[in-house]
Amino acid sequence: MLGRMRWQSMTYSSWTRTLPWKSWQPGLMGLLSVLGGGVVAQTEVGTGIDADAGLPYWEIREPGMSLRLVQRLPDQTRAFFLARGFARTDVDLIAQSCVFQTIFKNTSQTAQPSVLEYNLRDWRVRTADAAHGMKTREDWAEEWAARGSPQRARIAFEWALFPTRQAYNPGDYNWGMSVFNLPPDSRFDLEIVWQQYGSRHTHVLRDIHCAPDISTPETSTPATPTPATPEAP
Amino acid sequence: MRRNKVASIVCALVLCAGGLAAQAVTPAGQTLPEVPHPVAAPDFELKDLDGVPHKLTDYRGKVVVLNFWATWCPPCRYEMPSMQRGWEKAQADDIVFLGVNVGEDADTVFMFLADYSVEFPLLLDMDAKVIKQYQVVGLPTTYIIDPQGRLTHRVVGSREWDDAALLNVLRGLLPKP
Repeated sequence: MLGRMRWQSMTYSSWTRTLPWKSWQPGLMGLLSVLGGGVVAQTEVGTGIDADAGLPYWEIREPGMSLRLVQRLPDQTRAFFLARGFARTDVDLIAQSCVFQTIFKNTSQTAQPSVLEYNLRDWRVRTADAAHGMKTREDWAEEWAARGSPQRARIAFEWALFPTRQAYNPGDYNWGMSVFNLPPDSRFDLEIVWQQYGSRHTHVLRDIHCAPDISTPETSTPATPTPATPEAP
Repeated sequence: MRRNKVASIVCALVLCAGGLAAQAVTPAGQTLPEVPHPVAAPDFELKDLDGVPHKLTDYRGKVVVLNFWATWCPPCRYEMPSMQRGWEKAQADDIVFLGVNVGEDADTVFMFLADYSVEFPLLLDMDAKVIKQYQVVGLPTTYIIDPQGRLTHRVVGSREWDDAALLNVLRGLLPKP
């Protein structure tokens, strides 16, 4: 069950929403489909409650791919990394940086098979007043080295985090934690970029909500996430 | 130095080749992507949960299903029962399953085995050196190694390893009688 769910469909990704002549769009899309003769990108975006996690998710599906971001509670993240050898201050830094479980799949195997590639360094996190890049495994590795975190914890962190770059053959997929480097309870848009069917695709998932942190001051040490690659919104 | 060279070759020929890997889709909709240019699998020696060392070259002449995993990884846990069933179905056919646990100790894996029945060897890559040799990017990743010791297939994410069609692909790598 998808639980509470909102879906909307689009054609040729979100850029079509910017076309000025809305009444022309159905005809234009049909013409492009005929001329292109390839995969027509019918985009579905949705949000709801993930059946396994019992927490909100945001999702995009197109022919050949699906991406789901499932909210993680800061206390879930604290428990996971405390059990793997991180110090409490390190755990708070991660937990208060807005973490989502990410599931990215190449689903093209049953239609038109095509390799899917992405690089998190192409993605952008946009809030009302700023934008920044993703904080990747490599960024975190530098942070843990500077903090002197134990090797066991660093290995667990590296493999738990969503890969910075990946190439999925048809049928392949990964799970992993993505860190959006925002305070708990923030809202943001995520610009996603991937390559498939010989072209670059982009889509913006809107109004994603970081879980609030309900830890009491006695059990939690505030930690300030360090922004990665700040830039103009 | 030699390890870096081997890793570079693996990266160049296995991961970075680009293009679409040849593959079949089983009736169950599963894929087993082929490595475009099979290369020699980097050799390693790792201990199992009883402290017994296993070298990859010990399994030359057999098909090896080499699975990199961790106990906390949801798709790794998901596919482990089907790996056990696949091992049960294929062990008479010179097909070997090896699970390489990344970054965890024997006690942690023993606790996992309280919930999951696994009889094939589980090896410990506690310092994550072997997974780096294989240029794995995400867990789980599974390589198929043919009887000549070459990486022939690479799978990212879980599969149902007891799928008859998928096991037949593995059997097809064995020498014809």
